Amino acid sequence: MSSVGIIANPASGKDIRRLVARSSVFDNNEKVAILRRLLIGLDAVGVEAAYIMPDYYGLGERAADGLTLNMAISLLPMAVQADERDTVEAAGRLADMGVGCLVTLGGDGTNRAAAKTCGQLPLLAISTGTNNVVPAMIEATVAGLAAGLLATGAVDAETVSQTSKRLEVFVDHEFMDIALVDVAVSSDLFVATRAVWDPSRIKEIVLSRAEPGSIGLSSIGSAIHPIALHDDCGLHLLIGEGGTAALAPVAPGLVVPIPLRGTRVIALDTEVELEPCVGMLALDGERCLALYPEQRVAVRLTRHGPRIVDMRACLAEAARRGVFQGPMLAEVCDGYRD
Amino acid sequence: MTEITSEKLLWIYERMRLIREFETRAAKLFAAGQLPGFVHLYAGEEAIATGVCAHLTDRDFITSTHRGHGHCIAKEVDVRSMMAELYGKEPGACKGKGGSMHIADVSKGMLGANGIVGGGGPLACGSALTAKVLGTQQVTVCFFGDGAAEQGTMHEAMNMAAIWKLPVVFVCENNGFAESTPVAYHASVKDIADRATAYNMPGLTVDGTDIFAVYEAAGEAIVRARRGEGPTLIEAKAFRYYGHFEGDPLTYYTDEMRKGFQARDPIARFRKQVLDRALVPEARLNEIDTRAVQAIDDAVAFAESSPLPVPTDLLSDVYVTYAHA
Repeated sequence: MSSVGIIANPASGKDIRRLVARSSVFDNNEKVAILRRLLIGLDAVGVEAAYIMPDYYGLGERAADGLTLNMAISLLPMAVQADERDTVEAAGRLADMGVGCLVTLGGDGTNRAAAKTCGQLPLLAISTGTNNVVPAMIEATVAGLAAGLLATGAVDAETVSQTSKRLEVFVDHEFMDIALVDVAVSSDLFVATRAVWDPSRIKEIVLSRAEPGSIGLSSIGSAIHPIALHDDCGLHLLIGEGGTAALAPVAPGLVVPIPLRGTRVIALDTEVELEPCVGMLALDGERCLALYPEQRVAVRLTRHGPRIVDMRACLAEAARRGVFQGPMLAEVCDGYRD
Repeated sequence: MTEITSEKLLWIYERMRLIREFETRAAKLFAAGQLPGFVHLYAGEEAIATGVCAHLTDRDFITSTHRGHGHCIAKEVDVRSMMAELYGKEPGACKGKGGSMHIADVSKGMLGANGIVGGGGPLACGSALTAKVLGTQQVTVCFFGDGAAEQGTMHEAMNMAAIWKLPVVFVCENNGFAESTPVAYHASVKDIADRATAYNMPGLTVDGTDIFAVYEAAGEAIVRARRGEGPTLIEAKAFRYYGHFEGDPLTYYTDEMRKGFQARDPIARFRKQVLDRALVPEARLNEIDTRAVQAIDDAVAFAESSPLPVPTDLLSDVYVTYAHA
């Protein structure tokens, strides 16, 4: 049976960057609307089942309410913790169930959580967060078509996706956590509002990618040394006076010059040891872990990240193969008549 | 985040401990039949009032709710006068005529607890408009609950604050229940901050049990208001240990929820955070624990030994006489 898993984060797009930058509130009713359009797209190409992560807001139930589709829609049978653990658990369950594609609605943090357990399940990420490198601002209807084409096998996921990089964090030689885009050290003492938003507090950054057009901490890297998803390298930045500076959009509506005392390209499968300090370690833009000077903190760049779907490549491949016309279209339409 | 000194950390701890002790004692006194009227207790939400008021001075104003003890203490209203007010005694903050739901102390910028759900919003706009017209740089913080978020007064107040760019910070204390009704049953949006876009102001959600999250967000919102950039809506998600009112059987709380509350206790979290960072000595925190108990003991003794208002004072302070020009 063709199936797709969906994880929609009700908490994304609501942090302090609405106040200290010019980010927009990403309200949950809009996420419900996005989810509905996604489901319609999936249904249109004949996906038989969609499994949605339950959440405190009820995004899945609200999206399904009043929607008449051929596709079966159900919530994963799991308890809601109302934090990152939900995404981690849901992604693991969906991978175990063998769904054909995982679609996420959230920001980099949501995808980081999903990446912990989703393995090489093709991941199509829709942005409903703040600083987004992994997820893209794409129309959910179209994303639904693409995810559906992968789930039904109309397009081979291998040809339109690639395994991404990730940053693995080790504290005193013990594996601690991962980030997909950036690991940063800030001089903040507490998790507090989570988001890293004050550039003056950032001391050091390790990036897996730094693409022109990105926003957030990776934009600092992209301003001086662009690194793509497919490049087998990353970037290590030391923040502070003594070198060059990069003008970077570190949050929506917040463009500031960032002084750099050092920049270094790092190769895949190598480790960067962070400077000892009192502060917080931020993963994909969120303060997560308290740092103490006696700790040895290292970051390793690997290509063990999730398998990211190129939505446009998927749709182009489908068009090339005539999926949207002729006999294959008739096959999809037959599904409706059933 | 705004730098936070060890003195400020100790102040925060002292205020939170005083609130917890005050509420714990009020619950016992009410159960023993010592307090007239209703009490609505704030225990569990200490980080919100304290994290916000840590940025205010006596010149700034707050408006409060029926669950107002925490706001009063965070704004440094004297706990003796508060306890006397709960007892309905003459030296109470409102001379014993208001009780728990109407404690006010304008000298501290505390414009009053409020028995009307959603009653604080228009009041906050009034004081903020005054500050704006007079150019005093004073900020008003309007505390309200998730239940009040559905009241017309709050919608009107937030609209008015936005169109007039008033120096107000709206702080929605979302403890998950309006009386006993879950947010999902009474709110079209479960995250109240989602409404900020419609009001045309910044809105954000923070963990209301993490003092540092509240402190950071409130600090930025208050600075923004002082700069004349208008209102902000902060939604602080928390819980309350006690029922809506004392006597509420709390049938809507599950054992699992209660366990979750303990894990998120704002005072325990604060202690752990500052001690892990070695920002204050543990002995200082322990001293504050002792002093908080003593302060509430003293407040109760003061209230119990104080006289009731005399009948001839029944109508005093009820009407205001303005001097003619």
